[in-house]
Amino acid sequence: MFTLTLKGLLARKVRLFLTAISVMLGVAFVSGTLVLTDTVNAAFDQLYAGLTKGTDVTVRAKSAFTDTSTLGSPKPFDTKVVDQVRKVDGVAAAEGSLTGYALMLDKSGKPIQPGGAPTLGAGYQIDRKLAGGFTLRQGRGPQTPTEVVIDAATAKKQGFVPGDTIKVMFATGGQRPFTVVGIAGFGEADNLAGATLATFQMSTAQQLLGRVGQFDTIDVRGESGVKPDELRARIARVLPADMEAVTSTTVASEASKSVGEALKIFTAIFLGFAAVSLLVGSFIIWNTFSILVTQRSREHALLRAIGAGRRQILGSVLVEAVVVGLVASGLGLGVGLLVASGLRGLLSVIGMELPNTTLQLHARTVVAAVAVGVGITLVAALAPAWKATRIPPIAALRDAATPAKGVSRWRLVLGGLLFVGGVAGLVRAMSVDAQVAAAGVGALATFFGLTMLAPVVVRPLVRVLGAPIAGSVTGGMGRLNAARSPRRTASTATALVIGLALVVGITVVASSIKASVGDVVDRANKADLILKSASQFAPGFPSGVADKLRKLPEVGAVSQLRFGAAQIGGMTDYIAGVDPATVDRMANLGVASGSVAALGHDGVLVNTDVAKAKGLRVGSPFTVKFAQTGDQKLRVAGTFTDKTLVGSSYLISLDTYNANFSERLDIAVLVGARKGVTTEQVKQAAKVALTEYPNVSVQDSAELKKTQNDSVNQLLGMVYVMLLLAVVIALLGVVNTLALSVLERTRELGLLRAVGMTRRQVRSAVRWEAVLIAAVGAVLGLCLGLAFGAAFSRALADIGIVTVAVPIVQPVVCAIIAALAGVVAAILPARRAAKVDILRAVVAE
Amino acid sequence: MSMVKSPTGVGTAARAVGATKRYGRADSAVRALDDVSVEFPSGVFTAIMGPSGSGKSTLLHCLAGLDTLTSGQVFIGDTDVSSLSDGDLTLLRRNRLGFIFQTYNLVPTLTAEENIVLPLRLGGRKADHEWLAQVVSAVGLADRLHHTPAELSGGQQQRVAAARALITRPEIVFADEPTGALDSRSSAELLRFLRHAVDAYGQTIVMVTHDAVAASYADRVLFLRDGQVVSEMTEPTADRILDAMKGLGE
Repeated sequence: MFTLTLKGLLARKVRLFLTAISVMLGVAFVSGTLVLTDTVNAAFDQLYAGLTKGTDVTVRAKSAFTDTSTLGSPKPFDTKVVDQVRKVDGVAAAEGSLTGYALMLDKSGKPIQPGGAPTLGAGYQIDRKLAGGFTLRQGRGPQTPTEVVIDAATAKKQGFVPGDTIKVMFATGGQRPFTVVGIAGFGEADNLAGATLATFQMSTAQQLLGRVGQFDTIDVRGESGVKPDELRARIARVLPADMEAVTSTTVASEASKSVGEALKIFTAIFLGFAAVSLLVGSFIIWNTFSILVTQRSREHALLRAIGAGRRQILGSVLVEAVVVGLVASGLGLGVGLLVASGLRGLLSVIGMELPNTTLQLHARTVVAAVAVGVGITLVAALAPAWKATRIPPIAALRDAATPAKGVSRWRLVLGGLLFVGGVAGLVRAMSVDAQVAAAGVGALATFFGLTMLAPVVVRPLVRVLGAPIAGSVTGGMGRLNAARSPRRTASTATALVIGLALVVGITVVASSIKASVGDVVDRANKADLILKSASQFAPGFPSGVADKLRKLPEVGAVSQLRFGAAQIGGMTDYIAGVDPATVDRMANLGVASGSVAALGHDGVLVNTDVAKAKGLRVGSPFTVKFAQTGDQKLRVAGTFTDKTLVGSSYLISLDTYNANFSERLDIAVLVGARKGVTTEQVKQAAKVALTEYPNVSVQDSAELKKTQNDSVNQLLGMVYVMLLLAVVIALLGVVNTLALSVLERTRELGLLRAVGMTRRQVRSAVRWEAVLIAAVGAVLGLCLGLAFGAAFSRALADIGIVTVAVPIVQPVVCAIIAALAGVVAAILPARRAAKVDILRAVVAE
Repeated sequence: MSMVKSPTGVGTAARAVGATKRYGRADSAVRALDDVSVEFPSGVFTAIMGPSGSGKSTLLHCLAGLDTLTSGQVFIGDTDVSSLSDGDLTLLRRNRLGFIFQTYNLVPTLTAEENIVLPLRLGGRKADHEWLAQVVSAVGLADRLHHTPAELSGGQQQRVAAARALITRPEIVFADEPTGALDSRSSAELLRFLRHAVDAYGQTIVMVTHDAVAASYADRVLFLRDGQVVSEMTEPTADRILDAMKGLGE
């Protein structure tokens, strides 16, 4: 029985390949994602291992809590601690180190801002062994306050060599020129996980980074024979209460863990898209196996007639599924390696540069690929395989294959209930704010309800969509053929429905976001100018910008905004530091109780929704845990409704902010013009004044809206690219279905050719059939997508979607393109149909 | 049967000249047709008979341009079929030839009427209503026109196929075992219609059959054996045909 199945499969390699490809792409997505994350993780691990080489123990200030948001910004401490550490028995060397914000400018004066990685400035360590992988490749270390050593990647990319002058910006002020005296690498790597690094003489660094007399950490090397753990314990005993000593292995693993956390979100997103591809693929597998089982019903009946049991029939179909799944997994793994680089490319398009090393293909990835590929294929083939066992032996003796059965009543009832219930959920999500669950459940129920009803819907839909082409003989035939086997057309179209519904739905959500951004800016913003970092990856910009603006005669008010992570009730959240004197002149916060002026040194303004949920009122005590300063007892100074412009539910004064964060960068600066000065005038003045701050963009509210929309569009583009895969798989499904249908109709095609149908007409008929199948998928996908999009836009009111905007043109264009893609899907099946050997087709065996 | 014309007369609908068809390689070749030269006069109903493997179906397929000869020529009217491209062959079949096969004669998605006018529609032509009505009434299907093939009996399906073969007023109709899958009553109805087409409209028909009764409806019977025309009979009857077949060794 198995040999029979395998021989049959090998005899139809092309079909095997076509079927496998629909799952293969999903598997490739899964394995590509895993390979990419493993590779990036490995790259980071190598880097951190290299960096901590030569250091046994690190001394640093204790952090009140540790997660990704606190990494790399420990509280600075007095340099005296180093002397204490040096005295500890077993310490061979100890040296302080310091890291902060330093933005280098390229030769044309533009900021060198990597995507997703920091721009670091550091103090040059004298003990080169402690510096670990950080080694000079050219030149020497900095010996005067105007000398700098830069990382090899920046040097290579921007063409800096020792002797060149480079300008660098710091958190506290404008540009300063330095002489490049050395180029440093990090082991094999040219930079530290994408970050840029400028190293100065330690005392210069302390000055430039705003840490005079302070260090961030102390790197300690033990004498030979002293175990790191023992050394750590000894050092810990002499440290002040607010400081700790950790082994370098701990430091490296903390860093790796936080990178892993940061990558998790991308892994989740990519795996989400992989799931979509796999869902689409499973429909195609199901459909293909259904068709194969129908076509082979005589063969199966014959086998039954000569004594094969039901179990054997079931087995033979499932073995075929396993082979298809294995082929898909194997190919998918291979293609997955390409996908990994593709995804990396996709991330670099939005500016995320990930460090690279050799591609990591872990056993887990292989297991996942095979499990997913074989699993999905098996599950999808289960129902058709079961159907195959129901074929009675007598079918072998009947002339024709058993005609397709109608749709069962329970399927109609269940499908109808699901669909109606789902639509009700969507309607509820569309009419009430923030009903995410209703939208989610509604969308799923609607989709599955429609899937069950599809065979009934297909016939009338094909009739209507095909009406314009019914007049031509080939169009009419395509129309009849598309409606011929409604189940087949339905499941083929369903694959396309998934892809298109997601594309359209996300388009609607994106356009709602864009409309909301506009509305939010109009409603919440009162400032004439909004200053932000030119790069979305920059952590902020120097406070020198605000200082400079205050001196301009055109400027009436300047309000700085800072951002930092803190824990509130055990959860890490972002908290905003605002200027109580000016913030409500620049932004509509919608203060509901209390006042901004009441913020003082210990006040916090809480968003009204949060206040309601936590039962807070003006005067309520409110504890915030800061990483550097621990629990701080604050009090509620008031409540405010509109958090969309400030982007945080918690506002504290800049004074409070500065007391608890060592970071001194502004995330935004809001500027109001002096009375009688136009926005245009103040904008020109600000731009002129800020020429030495190329990392700051000066925008009026219209420009702000535009850049916000641009970034939404960029994300949308990325999502499209990934969903495109699902649509491509769906079109492959159309190819597969058509190819099988053409095979089934060989004799009919032969007859048509015999009575005078030209090859061109045959191709045209197949093409029309493909277009109609695709059009059914496109129309259903379009309708579902618009409903999903509208429901989710409303449901996501919480994340700031205040306006639901349903675009029509773009989704309709998408749908038309998808339908026309049917023409492409038809190319091969149509060619095959046109090549039918008339004689063999029409002459009875 | 007064309509029999001289085989060498001017009204030749189709002819084969030195038609040879070999299958397989030279050393192990099977000669399906061995240097056959034969003419099919216009307005004549010719039956081709012979034992299995005699080459009768091959001859028909080559005459109709469905199969190609290894050597020799085939003419439809004055057109050398063997020299035509695929496109020209398609147009030849669509406009100048009609076909009736043993089984699978109709497109299942189309109604009876749509099947009948299919060759016209493929050529972008409209049906001549008078002619359509005449053909439809002759095959006795006036009340079945809007049924799909699945709703028709085997005999009715073959009559629809016959009507389709005539709708373009072709120069010649090729029928390949048209009664092979029919019971005797349905066979008789179909053959009467074919006979009627020859008598009333002067239609030329070439029919391959192994059934002596079916062949007896023809004006002329050609007997083939081992790829060669071995004898010919005019004004055939079923008994005479059976005798002749026995002579061929069947």
